[in-house]
Amino acid sequence: MLSYILRRILSTLPVMAIVALFVFSLLYIAPGDPAAVIAGDQASPADVERIRQSLGLDRPFLVQFGSWVWDILHGNLGTSIFTNLPVSKMIAQRIEPTLSLMAITLVLTILVAVPLGVVAAWKAGSWIDRTIMAFAVFAFSLPVFVVGYVLAYVFALQFEWLPVQGYTPLSNGVWPWFQNLILPSLALGSVYIALIARITRASMLEVLQQDYVRTARAKGLDQRSILFVHALKNAAVPIVTVIGIGIALLIGGAVVTESVFAIPGLGRLTIDAILRRDYPVIQGIVLVFSFVYVLVNLMVDVTYTLVDPRIRY
Amino acid sequence: MIVSRRSLLKAAAVAPALSLPGTVRAQSQTTLRFIPVIDLTFIDPIYSTAQVSRNHGFMVYDTLYGMNSALEVSPQMVSGHVVSNDDKQWDLTLRDGLLWHDGERVLARDCVASIRRWAARDGFGAELMAATDELSAPDDRTIRFRLSRPFPLLSAALGKAAIQAPFMMPERLASQDPFKPLTEVVGSGPFRFVVDERVQGARNVYARFDRYHPRQDGKPDWTAGPKIVHYDRVVWTTMPDAATGVAALQTREQDWQETTPHDLLPVLKRSGVTTRILDPRGYTCMLRVNHLQPPFDNPAIRRALLGAIDQSAFMTAVAGEDPVYQTAPIGFFAPGTPMASDVGLNVFRGPRDMAKVKADLKAAGYNGEKVVLLVPTNSLAQKPLGDIAADMLQQAGMNVEYAGLDFGIVLQRQLKKEPVAQGGWSAGVGNWQGIDWLNPAGNSNLRGDSKVAGWYKSEKMGALRSQWLAAPNLAEQQRICRDIQALSFEEIPYFPIGQYKQPTAYRSGITGILDGTAVFWNVKPA
Repeated sequence: MLSYILRRILSTLPVMAIVALFVFSLLYIAPGDPAAVIAGDQASPADVERIRQSLGLDRPFLVQFGSWVWDILHGNLGTSIFTNLPVSKMIAQRIEPTLSLMAITLVLTILVAVPLGVVAAWKAGSWIDRTIMAFAVFAFSLPVFVVGYVLAYVFALQFEWLPVQGYTPLSNGVWPWFQNLILPSLALGSVYIALIARITRASMLEVLQQDYVRTARAKGLDQRSILFVHALKNAAVPIVTVIGIGIALLIGGAVVTESVFAIPGLGRLTIDAILRRDYPVIQGIVLVFSFVYVLVNLMVDVTYTLVDPRIRY
Repeated sequence: MIVSRRSLLKAAAVAPALSLPGTVRAQSQTTLRFIPVIDLTFIDPIYSTAQVSRNHGFMVYDTLYGMNSALEVSPQMVSGHVVSNDDKQWDLTLRDGLLWHDGERVLARDCVASIRRWAARDGFGAELMAATDELSAPDDRTIRFRLSRPFPLLSAALGKAAIQAPFMMPERLASQDPFKPLTEVVGSGPFRFVVDERVQGARNVYARFDRYHPRQDGKPDWTAGPKIVHYDRVVWTTMPDAATGVAALQTREQDWQETTPHDLLPVLKRSGVTTRILDPRGYTCMLRVNHLQPPFDNPAIRRALLGAIDQSAFMTAVAGEDPVYQTAPIGFFAPGTPMASDVGLNVFRGPRDMAKVKADLKAAGYNGEKVVLLVPTNSLAQKPLGDIAADMLQQAGMNVEYAGLDFGIVLQRQLKKEPVAQGGWSAGVGNWQGIDWLNPAGNSNLRGDSKVAGWYKSEKMGALRSQWLAAPNLAEQQRICRDIQALSFEEIPYFPIGQYKQPTAYRSGITGILDGTAVFWNVKPA
């Protein structure tokens, strides 16, 4: 197993290299010019050219790419064209809110969606099942920002129970930290809850038809043990797979959620960097997200072995 | 039915109140919480042309002269000046007690370096330096301009409050390349920039500079007069969505939002939040055209199109129908400012006759050439301006190609001088702060030197600007500006399409906000 994990981690290197080349090339050929954005609406072409030169953007593609790769290999993600701050520092400042948001959303999702899916499968065809599935369709259909604004209106503006915006670092206390993340997590998690609930239901329905479940019932096992100990474990592989894939959903959703709730996370940094054509920052964020995604996939593969002993690497 | 974020929030505001006793958001007596329009990307206000950088500049830096809300200039860092040698020598004297935030004394040579760096980036500064034979610091407190010709507007140039204002910096910073952004902030203004607490894109923190000595004379008025600070800290929190900022004001999580979208004003008014127009000059808007390429390289076509311009329609699209927030018609200077006049404005009055415009365009030589209209779709103001422009051009019978792009791409593409078939452009929209359109030196689109997008070139305009810079008094300046406006209606450097005013919003717990742009001295808890 250990050698498998090491092999997988090593295999991320070519993946990251391909991602890096792809992103760099894409940004190079994409329209937009950071020098023009910096110079603003009343700049002359000469001003823009002078800024472009000072930023080194007039150098050939291969020179720029080579310089960037060289920096990366030395652990340097580069410097923002706009702020002159190291990209690693900008990402470090923003990663805690995003990871916090994603972690709470993930926990919330699993705690809500899996039981909902299990119950829906257990009561398949009943009004409970139909209600849960109707909720899932509804939650899946609503854009994250709509859910966000409704939650903000009810729980922040009307009841004044929770803040409407911002982020408090964990170092300032668990409750202030958690308080700022409740509404964003609910908003971000709504689609994810719907997705996992539906997958859980489908997977459980298949498992609940199996002979060993009938045998368990015949042996007189209580319903909770059948559902959550025996059936759920065997239904877990597709659920874990979708949870892993869903991390990408979370990353995309975080961009919107962070904007709605003014959370200073990586999602907002990404949007700002794209709109400004701040190439080093975009490249740095994409590399970080790619690495996270590869790691999550590795964790999913390892989790398979825990829920299904037949799987071995 | 399309449900937008904005309509959702508005609907929410009119729903019955369900309020229960909630968490209390205490208003701080020591920290002012402010929401700027956009994030402070550049901390160097000379390098950047962003308004937010200018506002940051007035926090941490000081200027030799200040400007009040009536646009009058008065000494700020200087105690006064002496003009001699047939108006060709100005000696400015720094007042006592000025310190940089690192504790060093402000010296005249710091100011000389600062003026040079500013003048390398600013049009008004370049005009001043063009008239300057020698800029020197004969002693620690004297800044000397030896001019080749009288420059009566010297103090006005140094008191500029628009973007790229002449902020004073220590010589070691001011001597750096003006085309590279400074990474260190050391000013002599009333606030220090707390760099350690900066989260770029989200938060900027300023602390009161305890050793700042405000002027003893005058009254606080925009950037003029004593800058007395009442809060220990000012925290700027960037909100990507203005609606979230409005909600944060309602829940008392924030104190002051720099600008609030017009459609959200009713929500705030019902919440007991004060809304007010700080800057009556507001935002002046333009339809820019490319003078190098057909069809707008033809002045007769530009003139024929004047009849199609409906400034009220443009302004209603941006600011709603409330006349408080819009002015039309306007000319080439911000309405209500000394250089503005009614010259030529009749062409914008009365109903638009598109049939006549079509005929006039044809008579002027328009043959259906493609008009590529650049519209920044992610700009809250410029998108509706672009939509109205597209409709107007189409109604006038022009062959319009609507190029909806993000703002960054528009900025890049409008620098192209090639024909539209080679990726060029024909027209675009823009919005400027009214204080950018105060005079011929500040309005870069009116210079006629073919340096900025649109590439308007006019020797007559250049000559008039030179006359204006040398004009000895206000009456003469105004006379020249009337001539400039008349010439503009003949040559059409661009089409003015109206002025809108953007209100600010703040909680009743604060008072003392000055007219002008957002400045933070004089503001105090109510």
